[in-house]
Amino acid sequence: MLQALELTRTFGDHTALQGLNLRVERGDIYCLLGANGAGKTTTINLFLNFVRPTSGSARVNGIDVVEQPLETKRHLAYIPEHVMLYGNLTGLENLRYFARLGGHNEYSAADLQGFLDRVGLQRDAASQRVRTYSKGMRQKVGVAIALAKRAGALLLDEPTSGLDPKASNEFSELLLQLKAEGAAILMATHDLFRAKETGTRIGIMKQGRLVQELSTDEVSHADLERIYLEHMH
Amino acid sequence: MIGTIARKEFIEIVRDGRFRWVAAIVVLLLLTALLAGQQRYAAYTATQQAAQGTSNAQWLGQGDKNPHSAAHYGNYAFKPLGPLGFFDGGIVAYAGTTIFMEAHKQNFAIARPAADTSAIARFGELSGASILQLLLPLLVILLGFTAFAGERESGTLRQVLSMGTAPSRLLWGKALGLAAAVLVVVLPCLLIGALLLATTGLQTVGGGLGTRVALLALAYGLYGAIFLFLTLAVSARASSPRTALMVLVGFWAFSAFLMPKIAGEISKVAHPSPAYGTFMTQMREHQRRGFDGVSANAKLGRYQAEMYRKYGVDRVEDLPFYWTAVRMQKLEELDQPVFDQHYDAVRDAYAAQERVQNRLGVLAPTLALRSVSTGLAGTSLLEHAKFQDDAETFREEMVAKMNGYLAQAATDLNGVNSATNYMIANADVFAMVPPYRYEPPSLAASIAAQVPNLVLLAVWSLVALGFAWFAVVKLQPEARR
Ligand SMILES: Nc1ncnc2c1ncn2[C@@H]1O[C@H](COP(=O)(O)OP(=O)(O)OP(=O)(O)O)[C@@H](O)[C@H]1O
Ligand SMILES: [Mg+2]
Repeated sequence: MLQALELTRTFGDHTALQGLNLRVERGDIYCLLGANGAGKTTTINLFLNFVRPTSGSARVNGIDVVEQPLETKRHLAYIPEHVMLYGNLTGLENLRYFARLGGHNEYSAADLQGFLDRVGLQRDAASQRVRTYSKGMRQKVGVAIALAKRAGALLLDEPTSGLDPKASNEFSELLLQLKAEGAAILMATHDLFRAKETGTRIGIMKQGRLVQELSTDEVSHADLERIYLEHMH
Repeated sequence: MIGTIARKEFIEIVRDGRFRWVAAIVVLLLLTALLAGQQRYAAYTATQQAAQGTSNAQWLGQGDKNPHSAAHYGNYAFKPLGPLGFFDGGIVAYAGTTIFMEAHKQNFAIARPAADTSAIARFGELSGASILQLLLPLLVILLGFTAFAGERESGTLRQVLSMGTAPSRLLWGKALGLAAAVLVVVLPCLLIGALLLATTGLQTVGGGLGTRVALLALAYGLYGAIFLFLTLAVSARASSPRTALMVLVGFWAFSAFLMPKIAGEISKVAHPSPAYGTFMTQMREHQRRGFDGVSANAKLGRYQAEMYRKYGVDRVEDLPFYWTAVRMQKLEELDQPVFDQHYDAVRDAYAAQERVQNRLGVLAPTLALRSVSTGLAGTSLLEHAKFQDDAETFREEMVAKMNGYLAQAATDLNGVNSATNYMIANADVFAMVPPYRYEPPSLAASIAAQVPNLVLLAVWSLVALGFAWFAVVKLQPEARR
């Protein structure tokens, strides 16, 4: 579903991503780990065609994202690290707008409320302007927007940043549901524990290179932490 | 999809605190300007009609006198304004509103409201047209500069672009939403303006009122579209909303503020119009020399000899008409080409100045709109020239009729046809001259004069749309570093 082929991106003389090869299939939750600046966000930006590859290619459903950026985005849902919404619109209005941009005109107000319920946004918040929201509340609306898109592949860039532990936990549950429904999920995260709990596969990145790939059922949590820290030295 | 984007854009704009302030100021100024224009128009028209009536009555009631003296007494032409004059005063304030029509002399229009110190005249700058020309683009810019740059800065653009929305749809959606927000402010004011127009009595000066209003709406619509697409283009390209605002306000100041002020000066340098004193001296001198270098006196001598030959006489007393009157009429006709040449030269200079200003519209769309607006409102150079033409035609007819009547009526007075004969005429004779009537240029002539400016506005909006298209196709979620 998601595929990177020798994907490389340089900024000036700095190589942010070097020859990345990666596949995320349906039912996969692929967790990208790595220090700050390792190239996780760059990888996601390349799949969104927000950043052009210096060489190599990123593919969604086998389609090159540079050649058909609009078509590939139809299959993608994206949750940024900081979900940004229209402050003068309510949570529900924001969700409706983005759902329609994603081509979903069919949702009723009840459907939209359903998405917001699913991500655990308080009922009374839905009709308040987003300006008054906390970071976590915005993040929840961002998750609802991604759900409403009903995309085959999800690109998540530290999606739980700012969520309280309960909401984080619920988000993990949500990911497992989506996985069961056959979504391909690529998630950048710093949370080793959740990566092990919810992820199916893990990729460790260091200075723009994918240095190790492993399956979560092959390692214990303690092993994972040890392997990760070894790479970081 | 476009509708969804437009609706969201509109809601966001009107919910923003900015909207209330900007809208309030624009509405206040626009309504004030329209009301002031209506007052000014009503006062002007009342004065013009009363003065014309008085002047016509004075002509008839000037008292029994010699018909040629009556032609010296003369009449005044007061320039009528079409109903759209309330919206756009055009050159009325600067061009003179009154022409004195008398024997032997062609006169300039006098009584320029701008030279008047009354409150009405000082309001001359404040018209619906001038406020719209100045504030419509500013309104568009202030409501629209964040369209893309603001979303980029706040980060929502990332999510919008991740949705896979076609850039063209974003552009049209935002354009429609912004246009709707602008129209919500401007349209009610213009409807009030239309009501005011209805109360002015809809005098049929100029004709084709409906077409004129429709074309004005088109021209102002194009003008708004130019700034709308430029705003979206700059907003899509700029690194920050602040940069977008600075660039756009800069262009606005250039096009809507600076150029209208200096275009006139530039055009005067390019095509100077003579000073009044110089003009008069040169014309008198030319009159003295005769239009073809042969003096009027010499020509009159030849004409007299010709008449003697024609009627086989050798004394004025034996001519079958009153020679003094025929001679004065002949003199009028000899002076006419001189007048025409000099007045035409002034008119050509003004027309050339106008052309220069219109050409500067390539740099500043406000100049093109200004011409279209005054042209269609019937307050342009075209109408002024026609007003002068009609006054001159009237003058020539008045003088010819009085001299012609005298040429016959003073023949064989008291049994002789002497040059000293002096006949007295009364109001019945003066009534041979019909009251002054101004026939404004046709709608077709007004439109024809503005076609190049309308085309220029259309080209400007297409270029602006092209810019916006280009900018949006390359839209990036992050500012270029
Ligand atoms: N637009 C850009 N211009 C220049 N350098 C960039 C740009 N975007 C990213 N980089 C550089 O590329 C490298 C990888 O950045 P990236 O954002 O992908 O890291 P990350 O793994 O997401 O880090 P974090 O955990 O902090 O989110 C960094 O060194 C960063 O400075
Ligand atoms: Mg990152």
